[in-house]
Amino acid sequence: MIEARGITRTFPGRGGLLHRGSVRALRGVDFTIPDHGAVSFIGESGCGKTTLGRILCGLEEFDGGELIIDGQPVSGLRRSQRASLLRRVQMIHQDPYSALNPTRTIENTLGDPLALRARQRGENEDWIRRRRTELLDLVGLDPGYVLPRYPHMLSGGMRQRVVIARALTVDPEVLVADEAVSMIDVSLRLGILRLLRDLREQLGVSVLFITHDVATARYVGRDGELYVIYRGQVIERGPADTVIQHPVHPYTQCLLAAIPVLRGIEQPGAERPVPRGSLDERVEPPGCLFEPRCPFAEPDCRSRQPSLGQLGGTEQEHACLHPKRRPVVAVPAG
Amino acid sequence: MTTITPMLPEEQEAATTARPARRVRGGRWRLLVRTPGRIFGFAIIILFALMGIVGPYLYPKNLPIDPNAIYAPPSAAHLLGTDFEGTDVLALVVTGARYMLLSALIAGLLTVVLGTAAGVTGGYYRGVRDSVLMRITDFILTIPGFPLLIVLSTVWDFGSPYAMGLALGIFGWGGIARAVRSQTLSLRERGFLEAARGLGLPGRHILTHEILPNVAPYIAMNLLLTITGAIYAEAGLFFLGVVPFNANNWGVMLNIAVFSAGAVTSPRALTYLLSPLICILLLTLGIVLILNAVDEWFNPRLREI
Amino acid sequence: MARMAPTVTTGPAAGADAPAAGVRVRDLTVAFATRDGELPAVSHVSLDLAPGQITGLLGESGSGKSTLALTLLNAVPRPGRVTSGSVEIDGVGDVLALPAAQLRRVRGAEIGYVFQASQNSLNPLKPVGKQLLDLGRSHGERDLRGLLRRARALIEDMGLDSGRVLASYQHELSGGMRQRVGIVFALVLNAHVLILDEPTTALDMLSQAAVLAIIKKVHATRHLTTLIISHDVGVIGELADRTAVMYAGRVVEEGPTESLLADPRHPYTRGLLAAMPRITGDLDQARPLPGRPPDLTTIPKQGCVFRERCPLAMPVCAASEPPETVVSSELPETVVSSLNAARGAVADPAGPDSIAPDGGGPDGVPDSGGRDGGGPGLVAETGRRAACYALTEERS
Repeated sequence: MIEARGITRTFPGRGGLLHRGSVRALRGVDFTIPDHGAVSFIGESGCGKTTLGRILCGLEEFDGGELIIDGQPVSGLRRSQRASLLRRVQMIHQDPYSALNPTRTIENTLGDPLALRARQRGENEDWIRRRRTELLDLVGLDPGYVLPRYPHMLSGGMRQRVVIARALTVDPEVLVADEAVSMIDVSLRLGILRLLRDLREQLGVSVLFITHDVATARYVGRDGELYVIYRGQVIERGPADTVIQHPVHPYTQCLLAAIPVLRGIEQPGAERPVPRGSLDERVEPPGCLFEPRCPFAEPDCRSRQPSLGQLGGTEQEHACLHPKRRPVVAVPAG
Repeated sequence: MTTITPMLPEEQEAATTARPARRVRGGRWRLLVRTPGRIFGFAIIILFALMGIVGPYLYPKNLPIDPNAIYAPPSAAHLLGTDFEGTDVLALVVTGARYMLLSALIAGLLTVVLGTAAGVTGGYYRGVRDSVLMRITDFILTIPGFPLLIVLSTVWDFGSPYAMGLALGIFGWGGIARAVRSQTLSLRERGFLEAARGLGLPGRHILTHEILPNVAPYIAMNLLLTITGAIYAEAGLFFLGVVPFNANNWGVMLNIAVFSAGAVTSPRALTYLLSPLICILLLTLGIVLILNAVDEWFNPRLREI
Repeated sequence: MARMAPTVTTGPAAGADAPAAGVRVRDLTVAFATRDGELPAVSHVSLDLAPGQITGLLGESGSGKSTLALTLLNAVPRPGRVTSGSVEIDGVGDVLALPAAQLRRVRGAEIGYVFQASQNSLNPLKPVGKQLLDLGRSHGERDLRGLLRRARALIEDMGLDSGRVLASYQHELSGGMRQRVGIVFALVLNAHVLILDEPTTALDMLSQAAVLAIIKKVHATRHLTTLIISHDVGVIGELADRTAVMYAGRVVEEGPTESLLADPRHPYTRGLLAAMPRITGDLDQARPLPGRPPDLTTIPKQGCVFRERCPLAMPVCAASEPPETVVSSELPETVVSSLNAARGAVADPAGPDSIAPDGGGPDGVPDSGGRDGGGPGLVAETGRRAACYALTEERS
């Protein structure tokens, strides 16, 4: 289980002539990834969701709050202990083309981390070979075909499966999938999403799914929690399907209304709110962060800062002073 | 250990439409003979390598002199003519190859090994290691190599090819270190290196197995170019006569041909002048011709024909 | 093409209210030289862009959709070449037969092209306004003030501050803003035909929605004939009046978007739609499409190109390529044929919302007969067509 309490991350601004203020990528984010669970983070680019995933994988530092992995707080640990703790979280990169070393065969790519693992467990070559085959079977690849090949000989879908198999070599508890299918052919995407779903069921790994595509988040983490992030702040969270079907926060509503409607199959929601203007990170609003762009903003939104709070009697939480359910989600036609 | 159920076959991307793997392994040597140019280049390099290795054993240690045939033109007895004391020029060229080639090879290897080690280490670990290594690199870069060698030659005996190679190598690795470091820095942000770190692979493994193969084409190319550079530098030093020549090599031959034999003004010593010159040019040509095979050698994508 | 600007060209500044131009692609084949010989990336494709409509070209990577779009500019990159077919544009003629000088004029005066990675195709060292002037000058535009005025109007139309945008460098604009600038570059020379190659790839949902709304708006206000190329069913479904589905260099299905999405007939279209997770409906009905899309070298040389991934494959599919047949989800074929015969006079039977082409449309003759490898004149504007043996079976 992973708990994050008030994680903050501020990227320092550039000094000198090109002076830019510092960017607050994360402003105190709390979340929990339960064992065997799924958690999705959605938001537009630059909202901090990628930074969050990188922090979990130890690829980025956090400067406030605490990350607790299996009951152990990360920040107090020595570097090596910290690294081995964070190894339980593995990243599935967005781009399967750069995530594999082009000069090495898949056999080596999987063999190296397995060799390390074998040494720790006192296993031999045979174990490595067996495990390698097992993992490839698990992600739906033919070992005989894939092992002797270099990454460029495989399709995007196959590469992403190899990337997942590589992440599984260290028996992780959590897979962080950051836009894991956005660079894969459409007809192959569902296969990867289903794989992530099956891995949850079969291996009990948790999945943290980071995306701007709500539909894919729903597919992988329907039974889990969905977090909507805006400018580094969680502005709505709750059971995935509840948040998707009945969003409360105007930003979530804008996100969902922005999903293209397949005419012929679906009808657009009765309301399709659009945020005003575009995101300007240089402006720090005194009140609600979304107020400058909110289509439903009211005068007091400019002065009061909403915090995440429960919606009466439900599991859904939101950070909006004037929450209101609106019919923004497309519905099946006919 | 978790139990594993293989996925449904429908999940597997059918291998039927996939391209068959073409020559996944091996076959690298074939790259060197893929085009006529490369065959020629490769042949030249083999020839000179043989010359360097066995050349000195083909002739007596002290080459015979023939006072009756000083600056003789090419003939059946002396294919490339003779020098100022009647020594066969062909023999001089062949026996002189070892010094040139060995020292250039040492210089090249030293340059590349030092440069790569500093560049990769600095670029990957960054921080203090990087700062220290790059300051040393900057120091090396600011030393004017050629004048320094001239100065060094007054105190150091360059009769041995090892000494010469060492001197050229130690002061020449700065540029490569800088370039390799910047390549490493850009590789560092690539997904596969982040993954390797995330998987807990040790730093040394990452350097040698993940980064090195990706900068290898660049390094190999630099090795070849440094070798030609070293040959020019040596030839220049000996030609100018700033290094005391107590060894037989091509640079010395050039020096004598021009300054003693007057090869520039008289045709007598023309072959004496041209022989080492053509050797240097040929060797450079050979290296240039195989240069574009280097990329294919290390890049599996290009290797697949 | 040597130019890198996210756009095209020059010519007399035609009024924005000129009648929309139709585009007719006939029996187009584009082959690429590979080490396995010359292989077709686009094979015997016929497609109409009805004047004033948005046509969607849906396909995965390697389906030949971008290659097809580039032939509209006669700009297929080497080692590719057009081996057969024609591309007729109203008021221009066959683009593939134009001499170079005239072609240069047409690119831009007639056709505006927003290239695939146009977010990154601005010169990072020059502000947008300067690049716009460069564009005008390179196309012999004399009225540079007018050009700037048009550009400002376009930028304002897109909800951006024109002064700020023109003074900005590439890195100062967000992805969505750069995409809009790409559209400005494509339209500032008053093109009638707008081609957008993957206009929203790499944009998040909100930017995508904004860009799509802008495309819709400029299309309507400037009476354009628009072609949108995308791998994303959502983008096509939101915008296109008609949709052509491409697979392995063939148009496998084509028809009015709503009818096509509501009742896909070709197994590939069906598979693609079934493989899309949606925010509504039952997720467990989503089915992955088996296999993987072929590339140039792995497209089957004989028979149906989709048969290796097709759940309905029959022996005949391996023997020859299925002919294109007219299909209709609502009407029997006979009715569709007669409707097509009286083309132009009837509304689209597929749905009241889709825009029926108004007169002066393409003059293709409907052709429901068995056709191997395409031939001119087969588009039934109001009907639908698909190339699959299973469909022929269903009907008989």
